Amino acid sequence: MDDRLLTDRKRDQPKTILALRGLVVLFGALAVAFLMNLWGRPAPLYPIPLVDPAFLDTATNRRSYADLVRAKEDLSDFDCYACHEKNKPPPLRFDEHQNLLIPREHSDIVMGHGEHGRNNNCFNCHNETNLELLQTRDGRVLKFQDSPQLCGSCHGPTYEDWEAGAHGRISGYWDRELGLIKRQDCVNCHNPHSPTFQGRKPAPGPHFLHEQVQASADPATGH
Amino acid sequence: MSRRSFLRTSAVLASGLAALAASLSPLRELDDYVSLERFMQKYYKELTPDEMAKVLKRIEREVERQYGIRPHVRDLKPMDGVEFVYALNLTRCIGCRKCVHACVQENNQSRTPEIQYIRVLRMPHGSLDIEKAEHNYAPESVPEKGYFYMPVQCQQCKNPPCVKVCPVHATWQETDGITVIDYDWCIGCRYCEAACPYWARRFNFTQPSIPKDRINPDMAYLGNRPRRQGVMEKCHFCIQRTRVGRYPACLEVCPAGARKFGNILDPNSEVAYILRTKRVFIQLKGELGTSPRFFYYFDV
Repeated sequence: MDDRLLTDRKRDQPKTILALRGLVVLFGALAVAFLMNLWGRPAPLYPIPLVDPAFLDTATNRRSYADLVRAKEDLSDFDCYACHEKNKPPPLRFDEHQNLLIPREHSDIVMGHGEHGRNNNCFNCHNETNLELLQTRDGRVLKFQDSPQLCGSCHGPTYEDWEAGAHGRISGYWDRELGLIKRQDCVNCHNPHSPTFQGRKPAPGPHFLHEQVQASADPATGH
Repeated sequence: MSRRSFLRTSAVLASGLAALAASLSPLRELDDYVSLERFMQKYYKELTPDEMAKVLKRIEREVERQYGIRPHVRDLKPMDGVEFVYALNLTRCIGCRKCVHACVQENNQSRTPEIQYIRVLRMPHGSLDIEKAEHNYAPESVPEKGYFYMPVQCQQCKNPPCVKVCPVHATWQETDGITVIDYDWCIGCRYCEAACPYWARRFNFTQPSIPKDRINPDMAYLGNRPRRQGVMEKCHFCIQRTRVGRYPACLEVCPAGARKFGNILDPNSEVAYILRTKRVFIQLKGELGTSPRFFYYFDV
């Protein structure tokens, strides 16, 4: 080997040696810094609580009398003739402003059917000669499980929509040949005495990816 | 070689290798490794049924390893003579967001961070201007007076801009109208997210985390199988449900019955009835020419 080549190599000159040693120290320090994650960590994700399973429930707005029958629950409250006399229509009482006065025994009923309380006569829907049946204004007598026909006797367009599947909820199979459907009746969602939906608490909204400082959070993007 | 030069060389080499290993340290945080099988997987449309069966088995194994539950993964093909349409009744939606969370549960979406395919917008009465929408409403009680609520999810457009821009064809529209994503083919460039006018596409910025007890084991290849970091995902009309004839999860949970879904080619379906009889329809951002399959209507 030519000695000149070995001894004159750039690597052995003092400045080079110093620079190389400096670099080794620097890389060693960087190695330690990376291994110990001293900087440049991704921002930690803040924990998001799991949603309340009540928001995943496919339950309808309310349980109807038919649901209670199907669930074989205690129906003693619904036995009309436990208190009323057969063939004696119960009298209705109104106050001086023509508002219906709900008797104490039926105080759980809150009337609110129709604008300005127009539909405030119990026997618009209930059959006074047989309290276990319903009646329409055109003289039909209906069983409780056929109540959609009663609702439809006034709310015609909505009833047509309901029959076609455009009103209310149908669950199960859109392809009727592959499975059964469950069509909700009017009273599964609407309280017949006060049909308007009550308000409810909404489920949690969108979450940001990283925790936001409140002042600068942009609610429109949410990302 | 002298002892000195040997020691010097090996010290330099050792520090160099240590630095190299340290610079690769972010890979330690990578939970999901790329198996050779997945790397060499062919394009979805080129897979034979046997190869697809192997792919489904691989996914079942991976999910079982990660979550401890053996899922049932199917490759569901579109039904003949079916084109899906979604109709949403804006007089009925009360803004409760149950659809959002039913979707999260059904489709195995990440909970931390929480990805939600559906975004419910609270709009003031009298305007369809999206700029006036509020995304983060959280009152004590919905619906609030003076507002209506409009849930937005992937509109499964007939003329989808996201499909046009994908550089690798990881997303395409199938014959039943659903725009699908192959999560194993997506490279995560997010062009589709930029192209979508409805912000329907969600990106997995981090490794998704799903609690083990909330996994839905009934999965589809193009649907709700768990995704990984770096791929896009979006509403696919609950492909694992709708391609076997069932309603999507968002519809099943809606307490107001605002959502309607079905086959528009069937004249007896409720969506055909709605499009025939209702008079006012909105296709969001219709002027862009995307032709969404999502129709918002009112009960007038």
